[in-house]
Amino acid sequence: MIALREFKDRIGARSFILFSVLGPILVLGLVYMLFALGGETKQHWKVLIADHGGIFENKIMAGEDASITYYFANGIIELDEFKDGKKYQEFDAMLEVNEKVLTNKTGFLFYRIKPSTRMQTRIQYQYERRLEEVLVERFTDMSLQKFRSIKQPIGVTFSDVNDPEGKANDMTGWAGFFFGALIFLFIFLFGMTILRSVSREKSNRIVEVLLASVRPNQLMLGKIIGIGLAAFLQFVIWIAIIGLGLYLMREHLFPDLLDAANMNVKQLILDANDTSYQEKYFAAREYNEFVNLVYERVQFANTLGFFLLFFVAGYFFYGAIFAAIGATMGSESDGQQFVIPIVILLCLSLYAGYFTMNYPDSSMATFLHYLPFTSPVVVMVKLYQGYEPGHAYEIYMSLITLILSAFGVMAIASRLYRNGILQFGHRVRLKHIFKWMKRT
Amino acid sequence: MNTILDIKNVSKSFFRKMAVDNVSLTVQKGEILGIMGPNGAGKTTLIRIINRIVAADSGSVRFDGDIMTDRDLFHIGYLPEERGLYRSMTVEAHALFLARLRGLSKKDAETKIAYWFDRFGINQWRKKRIEELSKGMAQKVQFICTVLHEPKLLILDEPFSGFDPVNVELIKQELIEMKANGKTIMLSTHNMKSVEEICDRAVLINDARKVAEGSVSELRDAQKTGNYTIRFRGNMISFVNALWTGFELVDKRSLGDDRFEVVLAMRGESTFDDLLSVLIGQVKIEAAWESLPSMQDVFIKLVQPVNSSLA
Repeated sequence: MIALREFKDRIGARSFILFSVLGPILVLGLVYMLFALGGETKQHWKVLIADHGGIFENKIMAGEDASITYYFANGIIELDEFKDGKKYQEFDAMLEVNEKVLTNKTGFLFYRIKPSTRMQTRIQYQYERRLEEVLVERFTDMSLQKFRSIKQPIGVTFSDVNDPEGKANDMTGWAGFFFGALIFLFIFLFGMTILRSVSREKSNRIVEVLLASVRPNQLMLGKIIGIGLAAFLQFVIWIAIIGLGLYLMREHLFPDLLDAANMNVKQLILDANDTSYQEKYFAAREYNEFVNLVYERVQFANTLGFFLLFFVAGYFFYGAIFAAIGATMGSESDGQQFVIPIVILLCLSLYAGYFTMNYPDSSMATFLHYLPFTSPVVVMVKLYQGYEPGHAYEIYMSLITLILSAFGVMAIASRLYRNGILQFGHRVRLKHIFKWMKRT
Repeated sequence: MNTILDIKNVSKSFFRKMAVDNVSLTVQKGEILGIMGPNGAGKTTLIRIINRIVAADSGSVRFDGDIMTDRDLFHIGYLPEERGLYRSMTVEAHALFLARLRGLSKKDAETKIAYWFDRFGINQWRKKRIEELSKGMAQKVQFICTVLHEPKLLILDEPFSGFDPVNVELIKQELIEMKANGKTIMLSTHNMKSVEEICDRAVLINDARKVAEGSVSELRDAQKTGNYTIRFRGNMISFVNALWTGFELVDKRSLGDDRFEVVLAMRGESTFDDLLSVLIGQVKIEAAWESLPSMQDVFIKLVQPVNSSLA
């Protein structure tokens, strides 16, 4: 009854409906922005090659690059002229080629808007290849084909011995961090709801009427469960809206950009005979990584179970603390002060997640992995980074630790709740809190 | 078995301060028992112990013959002194919620709500939120929520505090009618007049201890001074002359038109009969009765010694 009332009360509130709809829309907006920004790197560039010595002989590459068109100017173009001159405004960048390049191997590119890393890589690569051709022609007797057969572009991929395919990396760690942070966002928001609800019942004195019918721990548990159900419902709404939004974005807004698999296949065909295939492949992957991460790499289905378990256990763990604070404080403003240590704890948890991303195998990360205050977010990060084979039991151990701690905290919180809930307008003293904890 | 509630040697302390000190009392079925006592005497703690909101350090509480359990709470209606309602809920939803908490099925609760809302004339307020109600209206809702499940025992902590006079009268009439229907009522109050009016028995608690228990008339009898009140028509001088030495004038009040009301104390062996015999013929006696202290007097008299010794 208590849980049902709390649940109805929550979902009936305007803020609940607002947050349920606006929250995911905000997240979607953010994802859209990241996609759109990623998409910008696909734009077509016009690069003017100022080659007054005619070193490149007005050519740069055999094939066409869909994203860059090169133009040649054989006179000297001053930087100011390029910057302000009307006829140069159509060019995105000017690539300077002069005799010095043959010795110092350095080229200069002046851009109007900073090119993406991928664009930089492409221009540099194409410049380098054309320069090679010139150098081979001028200084060796070797045929270009011969040179190319000797020189091979080497890409070094850094892979984890336990994860050679690189399924888990920093990016997936971020996904884990995002989910961990999501857990904490919900825990904090609804934890505060628990605190406010308890303190309101205290201040409007309904609590004594309730306590004549239900036990204090039933009241506390009912409240935590009711508000938790509302949190869960809101979470499901979030997932549904975000899921639908991502699907719609993939299908309608960015079909070419977002279909990572499709794109790679196209490139495979196009670039099969091109020796620059490998370079291009990496460059393509670079900007595509976020899209790829969202649609391909995050294993929503596999991790959902653990996500929910840690969500629920973490919620009960923190929820009981919030309820105990609500019950022990003398007035609502007292509670606000008590919230500060909890906020610090929550910040610590987020930092713990970040720390784990960077030092996943450190002993500190292992400690934070089992510490119930931080385990939900740390486990999420580790889950997405991937556990070492044979170490999957760690996740269960962490879960069991969290569940046991949640029970422990609930037991202490229910004592504090029982003894504190009928105290009004007092000043909270630690000595009282310890006494309440001891009293059964 | 006529005892519905049997409290034996109940004690409770908070941080070394005794709130209830070895209190024993019984509540008989069908009676209205008043619990009196100054602020901080321990009345509310005792009531909370009965309602199992706080646990006693020692002693026992029996309900209907058996050691009290949580299930017995379904047979108790409790209106605390510090009472509140969920401000955002509608009147009907609130009443339904509390009735269901007290163990009523949804159907039963709805039937009872319809009956009580009708009885208190608040049917048109059913769908209103509590925050839209006036204080008096909210008080009615609180009272209805307490009696909805038709409890065997009704415990009211300061039921008349904060209620306007119209509602006080309404509640009093309800309590008298509930008693007539066989319900038992226990109420703590500062309102001594209402104790005299509606209580059969009263218990006085002071400084965590029970200092007196008995029927209202017993308590008043125990504190009586032996004075008599005479209402007469006639001359005040001839009245005083007639008294002579056997009686002492304690108090007098003019009612106008040569009518007076006087309080007299007996001296030596003088009796009420002697008094009447000396007065008859001197003045026209309209009424004569033994002066009994009011419950207010009883209260002050029993509470003062302890408080003055504390001071």
